[in-house]
Amino acid sequence: MSFLSKQSVIDGLNKAKASKTKEWRDNLPTWCPGCGHFTGLHGLYEAAEKLKIPPKDFVVVSGIGCSGRFPFFIKGFGLHGLHGRAIPIATGIKVASPELTVVVVGGDGDGVGIGGGHFPHAARSNFNLTYILLDNSIYGLTKGQVSPTSPMGMKSGTSPYGNIARPLNPTTLALAYGATFVARTFSRERDMVSELITRAIQHKGFSFVHDLSPCVVFNKDVTYNSLNDVTVKLPDEHDTLNRSNAMSLAESTEPVYQGLFFKEEIPSFDDHVKQVKDGLED
Amino acid sequence: MKYSEITIRFCGIAGDGIVASGKIFAGACANIGLHVMVNNIYSAEIRGMGKSSATIRFSTSKLYSMGDGLDLLVGMEAKESIIDLRDVKEEGNVFYDTSTIGDVEEEDSLVSHITPEMQGHGLPIQKLANEATGTNQGKNLVTIGAICYFYSLPPEMFVDQIRSVFAHKGEHVIDVNIKAFNLGYEYFKEHYPLNNQFEFDKTSEPMALTSGNDAIAKGALDCGLKFYAGYPITPATKIMEIAAKELPKLGGWTLQMEDEIAAIGAVLGAWFAGKRAMTATSGPGLSLMCEMINLSVMAEIPTVIVNVQRGGPSTGLPTKVEQGDLNIALYGGAGDSPRVVMAPTDSEECYSGIQLAFDIAEKYQTPVIFLSDLFLGQRIETVTIKENIDRDRCTRKKPTSEQLEDFQRYQITDDGVSPLIVPGKPGAVFSTTGLEHSIKGNPNYEEEVHSMMTAKRFRKFESIVEDLPHAVILGDETADIGIAGWGSTIGSILEGMELAREQGVKTKLIKSIMIHPQRENLFRKFFASCKKIIVPEMNYQGQYAALLKSRYGIKPIEIHIPAVNPVSPLKIAQKIMEANSELSQ
Repeated sequence: MSFLSKQSVIDGLNKAKASKTKEWRDNLPTWCPGCGHFTGLHGLYEAAEKLKIPPKDFVVVSGIGCSGRFPFFIKGFGLHGLHGRAIPIATGIKVASPELTVVVVGGDGDGVGIGGGHFPHAARSNFNLTYILLDNSIYGLTKGQVSPTSPMGMKSGTSPYGNIARPLNPTTLALAYGATFVARTFSRERDMVSELITRAIQHKGFSFVHDLSPCVVFNKDVTYNSLNDVTVKLPDEHDTLNRSNAMSLAESTEPVYQGLFFKEEIPSFDDHVKQVKDGLED
Repeated sequence: MKYSEITIRFCGIAGDGIVASGKIFAGACANIGLHVMVNNIYSAEIRGMGKSSATIRFSTSKLYSMGDGLDLLVGMEAKESIIDLRDVKEEGNVFYDTSTIGDVEEEDSLVSHITPEMQGHGLPIQKLANEATGTNQGKNLVTIGAICYFYSLPPEMFVDQIRSVFAHKGEHVIDVNIKAFNLGYEYFKEHYPLNNQFEFDKTSEPMALTSGNDAIAKGALDCGLKFYAGYPITPATKIMEIAAKELPKLGGWTLQMEDEIAAIGAVLGAWFAGKRAMTATSGPGLSLMCEMINLSVMAEIPTVIVNVQRGGPSTGLPTKVEQGDLNIALYGGAGDSPRVVMAPTDSEECYSGIQLAFDIAEKYQTPVIFLSDLFLGQRIETVTIKENIDRDRCTRKKPTSEQLEDFQRYQITDDGVSPLIVPGKPGAVFSTTGLEHSIKGNPNYEEEVHSMMTAKRFRKFESIVEDLPHAVILGDETADIGIAGWGSTIGSILEGMELAREQGVKTKLIKSIMIHPQRENLFRKFFASCKKIIVPEMNYQGQYAALLKSRYGIKPIEIHIPAVNPVSPLKIAQKIMEANSELSQ
């Protein structure tokens, strides 16, 4: 992967300034050229534009890591919190003010490493949150150490003899934890990323988007090319109401499926709270 | 003998109805206008033969502590009661169960350990309980009946209370418990002469009862709490249980989170969304929350954290009291990380103080750590709660329409407080971060910015002082011996001062709910007027003394009590007497 030319960056910025999503654009991203996260950010801009989310009602909460900088690039309220703790902070915002649209953005280390204890509880509670996990299988901001999703054998600054542990699969975790909307995307597929982020935000309940978002600087094992070779779209006939079938497709590593694995409409946390409160008024 | 104050302990094992005894006694005393304080002691194990005791002190005048020594020990179970005989006053009384005497070796029976300085009184507790209830239950009511006669208390006070405590269990349970009470009363009437008389004003108004935990929960709910997130931990859980029950009725909600980090994270989120929120925890939980406290400092998101201290470090002594968390409250976390630390000294201050905590947190956009402790949190006491709190004393600083046009979330101001907006309202938006940031909230690591922002965050603490209640000076202002204390230890100090006064030694006390920041001038003036300064507290290091020494340059006599029980007023009085004899040398 070669870096983009200076001119192509300038062209991109000019295009962005004129784009229909400009209302949701704030500071310019600080990521390395070619970073997969640009696609996720673009997807979120498009979702905000499509759903016409007023910036005053739009809250983006992030943890620490390259993905943690999302709030600064989006016009809305943002909280760049602590490493691994974006989900509980977002939970407090959403439960205190259910009328807000709250999106959590985090990385693989943030979400299934240090913050791995929060993910299951947000999913099982069916909080009305959208969680976008940008997975580059590396600790990028600390310049290249293995992460909980790095493949076995991967060498890095902290795994000089190869990664001994098996990688976690965030998609299967979300399915096991009871998330009611589970999708996987690949940052090479801009339209799919935008569409699934939009649908995730529309979903009533805990929605999860596992975005494979390569780090072009520090990860030499999980790359655009390596992912390009293995990713395929989910079969058209896949039944998104079938959790166990979704699980077996999500487990597959060759190929790695992308698309909407699972979606069910059950009462969200907000619905249950409303029911309790209505009952108290009687 | 005539009494105006009595201390009784029910001592037994889990299942003996010890906690219920304390509850019935407290309610009965409060209803007839007596002052009462009840302290339950129990082990950290739920089942098995865990010790359980309830100490009840009641009086015709205000109580500040559990005092020293027992007028009466009610031995429901021999083994545990034998240990507690050491707490019985000289000439004190012991009730023991005559129906179980044959069940154990003589040396294991309570009666064989009663010394000549005490007076033993036997009654067949278990036998009478069986007679009344047909089960082993009701032992506690048998002894309450006996106590009622023994101190010539009016039986109606207990009968009324039994009816209300057992109301939810139905008529049968009420009837058998009243029967047990009557059997105990009648047994004593038949077997013992009436020698004692508790004297009180029979026209007193009933008093309200609360625990510190209840008062904190009520105070928070009364000042606009809308969100609570927590994780169960002894001895703070009661606050969460009250919030869980009451908040939905008030348009709010309570979340039980997966750990304390998540709990404080959710609380920060709720404050970010503009809602009053809190969590309550104890030492181990506060340890986990330190990084979030840092975020609250850095991002200037208000937070209220109640820490009901227990014995530490680590899991420590979950069911015992200690004041060992002052240092972590003051300093826990990375970097230059200022926060407000408050410590209520009694249940009334739990109620009013937590409201001040919310107001300060909201106005100054800072974490406030509210340090209660197990003794204060769980003891039940009669109180006069003042509900007329000025709701407008502290308000959130909102931006002007001009400021909204180019909104600077971290605008530099004289008082250090920047305008704050919340999501959902038209006007402006902002992002915040735990990174050092510019006035707009964008990450910025320049030296000038960091100095300017750090100074701003600390400047708020100079401004807060303006809104703080004044410290109060109690005792004799002309005294040479001054005492500084904090939290629930204040109660024992006040009674220790009274004991010293009875010996002709004058003392004064500086009492403040504020640990940090403090109105320093008052403290300086107070310390300057003392020839001897005593700082008693329930920890090994002298954490408050260390703070006072560094802040005011004093050299106090420190009393460090790594406590498992509330501080004895007598111990304080002894230190005062020692200090006094040093002064007169």
